[in-house]
Amino acid sequence: MYRRWLWPSFALPGVLWLVLLFVVPFYAVLGVAFGTVDPILFQPVPIWNPLEWNVGWLNEVLGRLAPGGIWFDVGIRTIVYVLVSLALCLLIGYPVAYFTARHAGRWKGVILILIILPLWISYMMRMLAWVNLLQTDGYVNDFLTFTHVLSQPRDWLGGSASTVILALVYGYIPYLILPLFASLDRIDRSHLEAARDLGASPWSAFRTVTLPLSKTGILGGAVLITLPMFGDYFTPNIVSGAPSTSMIGNQIDLYFHGGPQPTIGAALTIVLAAFLTILMLYYMRSIHRAQREAGTVGAL
Amino acid sequence: MTHHPKERPNSLSRRGFLLRSAGAAAAVSGAGPLLAACGSTTSESTGTGLEGPGGLPLARPDKRVTLPRWEDPIESGLKPETGGTFTVFNYPAYLYRKLLTEFGAKYDVEVQYTPFDNVNSGIQRLASGGVTPDVMEITPDTLDIGVAGELIKPLNLDYIPNLQKNIWPQLVDPFYDGESRYTVPYTCYATGIAWRTDMIKEDIAGMEQPWDIFWESQAYKGKVALLSENRETIGMALLRKGITDINTEDPALVNQAVSDLKELYDVCNIKVDDIQYRTVPEGSSWLHQAWSGDMIAGYIYYLPKDTPASALAYWKAPHGKVPVQNDCFAICSTTEKPVLSHLFLNYLLDNGVAYENFVDFNGYQPPLNEIDPSTLVQKGVVPENLENSVLTNEELGTDSLQYGTLTSQGQQLWQDGYSNFLAGGGS
Repeated sequence: MYRRWLWPSFALPGVLWLVLLFVVPFYAVLGVAFGTVDPILFQPVPIWNPLEWNVGWLNEVLGRLAPGGIWFDVGIRTIVYVLVSLALCLLIGYPVAYFTARHAGRWKGVILILIILPLWISYMMRMLAWVNLLQTDGYVNDFLTFTHVLSQPRDWLGGSASTVILALVYGYIPYLILPLFASLDRIDRSHLEAARDLGASPWSAFRTVTLPLSKTGILGGAVLITLPMFGDYFTPNIVSGAPSTSMIGNQIDLYFHGGPQPTIGAALTIVLAAFLTILMLYYMRSIHRAQREAGTVGAL
Repeated sequence: MTHHPKERPNSLSRRGFLLRSAGAAAAVSGAGPLLAACGSTTSESTGTGLEGPGGLPLARPDKRVTLPRWEDPIESGLKPETGGTFTVFNYPAYLYRKLLTEFGAKYDVEVQYTPFDNVNSGIQRLASGGVTPDVMEITPDTLDIGVAGELIKPLNLDYIPNLQKNIWPQLVDPFYDGESRYTVPYTCYATGIAWRTDMIKEDIAGMEQPWDIFWESQAYKGKVALLSENRETIGMALLRKGITDINTEDPALVNQAVSDLKELYDVCNIKVDDIQYRTVPEGSSWLHQAWSGDMIAGYIYYLPKDTPASALAYWKAPHGKVPVQNDCFAICSTTEKPVLSHLFLNYLLDNGVAYENFVDFNGYQPPLNEIDPSTLVQKGVVPENLENSVLTNEELGTDSLQYGTLTSQGQQLWQDGYSNFLAGGGS
């Protein structure tokens, strides 16, 4: 009896953590999204009983997000920004993680620290630093004109999509590299050696061995950065400020920042969470399949 | 700068809050329980005939409202509380720290400054009981929430003689708070256009409709911005079309204004922010909808040394067509130092204190009788080309344009309109 409960009990802190900091708050958001609003203070009044939930706000949000709705464009824009940012993060992050895991040798620790180092400074400060760097007469333009990459300074902060995407890449890329590195670092080198012994070229060995074996790391990192990117409102605010580059998070921010309809913000959060759950389920399915193929599910 | 939050009393339980909310629901649908319950302390309550939060009548400059007192003010002649902390709840950096320290030293309290992001988010914090300030900044268009929610306390003006002595007459007995039952004025400002004369070639002030400049700003793409406030942006688009009812709740008018604003995506890739006091003087924004106080603050703090004051310009519409507003201060229901809170309000209205806060720190003008635009120019506080950034008391008269509280439906209409604009166009 004692042994039967010993090992599962080790999961208790994690379960408690999840319940207190995820399940309960998420249910609170559900209660708000399906609740009502205090008519004096415009405070959300949650409804806790699902049988009494008011779905009107959710219908309103879905209508706005549908084609022809006022949020359709911003929804599409958010998806495009996140996907492009994710692609760029992978394009930049994968080689960095690969090099660190396979070729950095004794510099591995130093490189990892350098990757983590920016995270010691708050996200807001880092973005504000970029605002200074990207000014028309800032160092970025100075460098690019000096090197003749640009013939004249570019207005990076004039409300351009490329600036928002680059800022998202800068802000989130460390969170992609770290799980990717962990995944690549765990790959048994004997697999690669076997591939090479069997006549595979370096590229072929990478394509058929390394890449598939790092799939869980890619997906893990991708999930880790896409989830917060979808809800980001701060980055477009700081480096652009133009409605033409706003994201769905800006709408959530608008409705949660006061006014008579905080429930709209909560309902939009629920819709976004449902959308992200699809990504999460795909990730979990991939992990499960990878483990099964590796024959580890049974062992677990 | 339209809304400011209020605070919930500490003594109010969750149950009490919900009961009160239920009562408020009834108030909105019909007779206001607050008005009924406070009948003994209620005098006139006229207004527009429309009802805002808690069933309170909506005030307009030409339709004054005297709000009911939900409790009696403190008695006269009490001694101020001393010791402990005294908390001021306000916008970040909107009150001179030095003055707060001096007030604290005078009454032996430690003055704590708790900032809020904006009015609406502040209201959320107050209503949730997350903050317990003694005094706070509030605006006329959120006053109804403060009173109906019993978040701010009625004043005893015996403790605030500076109100009568130093402040513009129309703000001693303002239309939104007859008899100054809950508030005293803090700063006043107009909404207009700020621009860089070295970058913008058009004579904006000389244009038949200066607001049109935003729709003719193709050459300044990326350098043009509006205030990120739903009342100000939509209100500006209404004014551009000659509609001076900036408190309209007509969906057709509001939707048309939003549609006009959306044209600005293609015209100039319009931006929205509230940092014009910095970006215009620094030159990162060339054309910006702006409050008058921004130009004075910008000139004092953010104009680079090698840039002449003449690089800045400000336009505001003539009297009766320009939106004007004033911020206020009120005593929170959470205060445990009600006498000292009254004295703090009186302190803010002291000629020397208010003037120092204005010219040495804030840039936003207090409505003092002794402040005169030309005198400020003579003293070098304000450059001659920005003299129109200083308001006179006539500009806040009964024929002025002021953003007032809207009904709940009206607030939804304007918020949804701004959401539509903020969503941007197809990209």
